[in-house]
Amino acid sequence: MATSEQQPHHKGADEPQVLAPGYSALKFPAPAARSYALPSLGAAADGVLLDSSGAPATLHGLYDDKTVVLSFIYTSCPDVNGCPLATFVLSQVQQRLSSNESLADKVRLVSVSFDPANDSPDVLANYGRSFRRHDVDWRFLTTESEESLVPILDDYDQAVIRDIGPDGESIGTMSHILRVFLIDQNKNIRNIYSPSFLHPDILLADILTVTTGELPTD
Amino acid sequence: MDTYMHRRLLAALITASILLFGSASADETCMSPYMAKIVGQEDFVYVWTLGIEGVGDEQDKLVTIDVRPDSDTYGEVVHSLSVGGRNEAHHSGLTDDRRYLWASGLDTSAIMIFDIHTDPAKPRLSRKIDDFVEKSGGVVGPHTNYALPGRMLLTGLSNSADHGGRTAMVEYTNAGDYITTHWMPTDDNLNGAVKGGNFADGYGYDVRALPRRNVMITSSFTGWNNYMMNLGAVMADPEAMQRFGNTVVVWDLHTRKPRKILDVPGAPLEIRCAWGSRSNYCFTTTALTSKIWLIYEDDSGDWQAKAVADIGDASLIPLPVDISITADDQQLWVNTWNDGLTRLFDISDPEAPVQILEKKIGAQINMVSQSWDGERVYYTSSVLSNWDKVEAPEGEDLQYFKAYNWQDGELQHQFTIDFLAAKLGTPHQMRFGAYSLYGK
Repeated sequence: MATSEQQPHHKGADEPQVLAPGYSALKFPAPAARSYALPSLGAAADGVLLDSSGAPATLHGLYDDKTVVLSFIYTSCPDVNGCPLATFVLSQVQQRLSSNESLADKVRLVSVSFDPANDSPDVLANYGRSFRRHDVDWRFLTTESEESLVPILDDYDQAVIRDIGPDGESIGTMSHILRVFLIDQNKNIRNIYSPSFLHPDILLADILTVTTGELPTD
Repeated sequence: MDTYMHRRLLAALITASILLFGSASADETCMSPYMAKIVGQEDFVYVWTLGIEGVGDEQDKLVTIDVRPDSDTYGEVVHSLSVGGRNEAHHSGLTDDRRYLWASGLDTSAIMIFDIHTDPAKPRLSRKIDDFVEKSGGVVGPHTNYALPGRMLLTGLSNSADHGGRTAMVEYTNAGDYITTHWMPTDDNLNGAVKGGNFADGYGYDVRALPRRNVMITSSFTGWNNYMMNLGAVMADPEAMQRFGNTVVVWDLHTRKPRKILDVPGAPLEIRCAWGSRSNYCFTTTALTSKIWLIYEDDSGDWQAKAVADIGDASLIPLPVDISITADDQQLWVNTWNDGLTRLFDISDPEAPVQILEKKIGAQINMVSQSWDGERVYYTSSVLSNWDKVEAPEGEDLQYFKAYNWQDGELQHQFTIDFLAAKLGTPHQMRFGAYSLYGK
């Protein structure tokens, strides 16, 4: 499954793939935080997970009183405009948050694997170590099994298809629409991002827009 | 006015109204950029079909046609799902993950959500939204069903206060839960928009997004009073004939705020944006003036509109309906309802489109949908139940689905399904389905 934004099509079939906007400077002015509305898209569902130490965790436990950016990823994802984009953008947001302590205290970044067979807590711990800073709350989690993952994916309308080779066996990659969720302090979904506008400038403006309280904007 | 001229004008007005009351829309190359796309052979075409009195069960229905060339049922209707009544079935659109097909009715404002992923050969009705008007705050006539990430954006054509053309866009979650309403800017409430010309009519019709420019473009048609009124009554009312849209609005995609209102007189209908990563422009066609308009970002980053080509002889009122841009942005299919022609324009220079082909498809024509590779082109005929032609000249098809291959610069006919003979109704919008989307 591919979206036009993940595999941009333009003049010349042999033209190289275009990197998603999130990898470079925004080509248009970022929205001014709190100058626009992000109405709720409904309640963010709960789910049972394992954190990167292997301890049980729940989504609602992670959401508690925090503005949360939630991304579904898998560590061996090969599509540069898929999971790696999500992790890159979150790392950029993390960097901005690290210079804004009062905002960082109100925000949590959460990356959940949809490949429990390969992304064990240890694998995720190693993966997260490459990106995580000590002064920002970024969690990497997985699930006990495929069975425990499915209801979470269903609740978040996150369709994932395991790619099958000619012999009918999984080839290790998955087709999915990249979705990153912004969840407010009341556990409501306030935005859903795709590769075309998953950009740190936009995400930070949205975080500031939905997070309550007096906040510095830089 | 002599009798001939009177008849000709009458015919023009009738056909203009027919066009305006109906519409047309997209296909594989014209859908939301957020959506999963079928880049190879599509398996099915889903046709949102109007129920017609005296035809079959008389209900609106979703008709599934097998278009797999190697299938035993190639070219046949393999499934038909009636929805229990008539709603003035019109446009439909897929969610970003293509698991659901939304299909709306202009009269009742009902919206059907079909599950097309569980069994792509046999869609089933998953949910019906029957409180669109109430939830939206008075929007009537859901038209374009457009995918945004995790949500659907529906353009309205009218409102419940006066059933005129003032309207809004309405957002829903993919599950079908109401989110919010965005009213079109008017002279009374520009909502921060810059009025670029003479008009700020508040009308709506189609919508497209250009995410890389953070821009959303809407066009304008007419309200329920006109699109559901008897044609003769519309024609007899000069004021009613004036109540058609003259605007295209450029929106801030992220904040959903209108930025600029552009004058595009003559009822601009379908909007198709170029796919190229540096092509910051879209096309629309005006029903009443038969022109192709270019909506483009100028060198200073401002958005403008200008007429760039005539479609046929405007004095003959060809009445452009659906348009379809090729995936390489080089060509544009333009159907003209009144003469039943599909026309192909070379748009390699977007400021100077040139018609390079025309072909008669039927007694009337509305929708065109092409595959992503451009090799297959499909057509349907219906505009609106009250306005469609009721007779066809000898040898011309009236209500049809037609499949063509586009090869060596020619449209090569593959098969036709007569929707009246099959007792299905009158076929309107087409959407593609494929097992491969769901790993099947």
